[in-house]
Amino acid sequence: MSGVRSWVVRRLLLGLGQTAAVVLLVFALTEALPGDAAVVLAGDQPDPDRIAAIREAMELDRPAHERLLDWAAGLLHGDFGTSLVSDRPVSTYLADGFGPTLLLAGLTVALLVPTGVGLGVLAARHEGRFVDRLVSSTTLGVYAVPEFAFGVLLITVFALRLGWLPPTAVGYGTDLLGHPAALVLPVVVLLSRPVCSLARLVRAGMIDALDSPYVAHARRYGLSGVRLRYAHALPNAVAPAAQQLARTIDWLLGGVIVVEALFVIPGLGTVLINAVAERDVPVVQGLAVVFGLSTVVLNLGADLVTHRLTPRAGVAA
Amino acid sequence: MTVVAEIRKLRVETGGRAIVDGVDVRLVAGRITALVGASGSGKTTTGLALLGAYPAGARVSGEVRTVDGLVGYVPQHPGAVLNPARRAGALLHDIARVQTRAMPRAERRAAARERVLHALSLAQLPDGETLLRRYPHQLSGGQQQRLVLAQALLVGARVVVADEPTTGQDALTKRRVVDQLAEVARQGIAVLLLSHDLDVVQALADEVLVMRDGNVVESGPADRLWHAPRHPWTRELLATPPASAGPAPAEGAGPVLQVRDLTARHGGTVVLRADVLSLGAGGCLAVVGRSGSGKTTLARCLAGLHRDHDGDVLLDGVPLPRSLRARSRGQLASVQYVFQDARAAFDEHRPVVDQVARTAVRLRGVAPDRARAEALDALAGLGLTGEPVRRGPDELSGGELQRAALARAVLARPQVLVCDEITSGLDTVTRRSLLDVLAALRRTRPDMGLILITHDLDVAALATHVVVLDGGELVEQGPTREVLSRPRHPFTVSLTETSALLTARARV
Repeated sequence: MSGVRSWVVRRLLLGLGQTAAVVLLVFALTEALPGDAAVVLAGDQPDPDRIAAIREAMELDRPAHERLLDWAAGLLHGDFGTSLVSDRPVSTYLADGFGPTLLLAGLTVALLVPTGVGLGVLAARHEGRFVDRLVSSTTLGVYAVPEFAFGVLLITVFALRLGWLPPTAVGYGTDLLGHPAALVLPVVVLLSRPVCSLARLVRAGMIDALDSPYVAHARRYGLSGVRLRYAHALPNAVAPAAQQLARTIDWLLGGVIVVEALFVIPGLGTVLINAVAERDVPVVQGLAVVFGLSTVVLNLGADLVTHRLTPRAGVAA
Repeated sequence: MTVVAEIRKLRVETGGRAIVDGVDVRLVAGRITALVGASGSGKTTTGLALLGAYPAGARVSGEVRTVDGLVGYVPQHPGAVLNPARRAGALLHDIARVQTRAMPRAERRAAARERVLHALSLAQLPDGETLLRRYPHQLSGGQQQRLVLAQALLVGARVVVADEPTTGQDALTKRRVVDQLAEVARQGIAVLLLSHDLDVVQALADEVLVMRDGNVVESGPADRLWHAPRHPWTRELLATPPASAGPAPAEGAGPVLQVRDLTARHGGTVVLRADVLSLGAGGCLAVVGRSGSGKTTLARCLAGLHRDHDGDVLLDGVPLPRSLRARSRGQLASVQYVFQDARAAFDEHRPVVDQVARTAVRLRGVAPDRARAEALDALAGLGLTGEPVRRGPDELSGGELQRAALARAVLARPQVLVCDEITSGLDTVTRRSLLDVLAALRRTRPDMGLILITHDLDVAALATHVVVLDGGELVEQGPTREVLSRPRHPFTVSLTETSALLTARARV
């Protein structure tokens, strides 16, 4: 066990390094973009003197490395800095955007795991027969449809034609829980592709596992089908699916920009788009830190799950 | 005499070829029936038929009857039927849970545990409870085997099919397996033993069926079969191995390979200590000992595959670098290694002859065309000719592949050839012919030193000198005849005795 523990510590340290690298890269890229927050603020009157004045007021005239160092020093005691555009602390941006994103992600994952695994097991049980072909072709078809197209289709049918559900979350602010109807379509769109990839992975793993000598052995000794499938075959089938699930959760926590934009949900994705448009570097950097850390933690979790499911493989890296 | 399972006129056909044809087997409670024959003779197919398992796409005719359908199975590689993602006890608990379903809820758990522990003790796994919490890969091969047997006993199988239970085991372990199967039979269970290990068959079987090419060529009580075999194939199978292949060539002048103060570690633990060891040019040294005694580690140190050691390995008086990477081409060529699992030692996608020729190209800088010609020559010299060697390794049998591996190693013109258990896992006939190949190699390459890692005293008899390892210590060494006929160290005594005992038991 101590081997696993030291591996976790090493992975976390490595993850911190990776996050720092991401932040540096993001900073360098936003610096490289033409224009800055001062130009954006100057808006309709791009008078060079005015821009220079704004720049001085926002301390944008200081060298880039000094600004980065200041910001990094603040980060060490939990201060994400303040927005260049609104002067509000970056942490309030993150907190506001995190709520809706987390809600959507949580709901999606809660539905994703049972649906994906269930469909995969179902297809594997009927390998090569009608049910399998139906599940396999449907998942392949749905997987091929991009989120924005699927979202537009759903809005057209269920919101505009049938009028069953609100087309967007406009007007509900961050209080989405109070209006569950507004969540249905976004969650369905978010679910569509991950369910397909998860189901296909579980199906492939289950077919192998159900065909294995250890499952044949357990079947020979009279175990029930349900127990055989879920207690003996499934643990061997879900290791690759766990990795895919971690990537999906990471994708969801990043605020799926297309879906948030389509349904006008004020999540992290929306915050990110606005911040980039306004050249609001501290907000972009704050988001980079959050995304980086969640990626590191989620992948670590997935690797731990995989390690538990394939105890032979040991730990690497 | 209760017949608990019966196979009548079984015929199994795959791809238009009958792999089992017209086989009749009757299994009687408390008796051990053995199916013997070379690999590929249809033993396993017959055994699996009792379990209702057939090769994919097989056409089956005939009748397989079992009393209540409960047949236990202990496969050759018990690890394959243990779920790698679940702890070792998972299946046992599930079986016990099914059996205790009718009990009141409060008693179920205790009763299930009771049953599992009972089955474990029947399978001679007394400390089984701690074992059940481990993962299958954390158990030894013997523990895995007993665990799988415990599953069969827990289910209440009236018949147990044991497929090659002693293949690749040392003499002491073999004896344990023999005792264990005898104990299973004493409990009134019919045992179908599939084996090419004749010592074990002789020690255990009440009834023997000799198979060849899918047919039973002879069957009868073990005693009759042993003392008066009727079929020529049976006689060939039972023939005692030829006395070791003549006097070995005299050893050359100085030692070609020497080991000084070797201490090898795995992580922090010392697994092997060898102060002095030497191999003369043209000499043949057998390293014997149980599994886990450090034999393979010693071989790996010599070949540069195990770096974590102190002390020196000297080739012609010059220390060899510890790591394979640090050795020069010449040094790599001088010490060659043949692995136990020949199939794993070949790339399955490239023709065998190309892989053999590669040694000459890589290690001796021979031009590819000439290397190929040399490889074909070397293969032919070991009895491998014709089309199959130009195709992938799956066209060759295990014994043929092992010859190809030998040819590949010899093509490097080594001064020292290390053979690590190259005969274990092969049936008697194949094993004997491989030993003949080794003896022939010693005659055709008189300057090459040979190191045989083995737990089989028959193989060791081929050597001029023997080193005995136990628990990582070098407990005895000397000329073969001396060590094997007058063993001094208690371990050596027990090793030679168990071998003798296995054979002796069989004669009773």
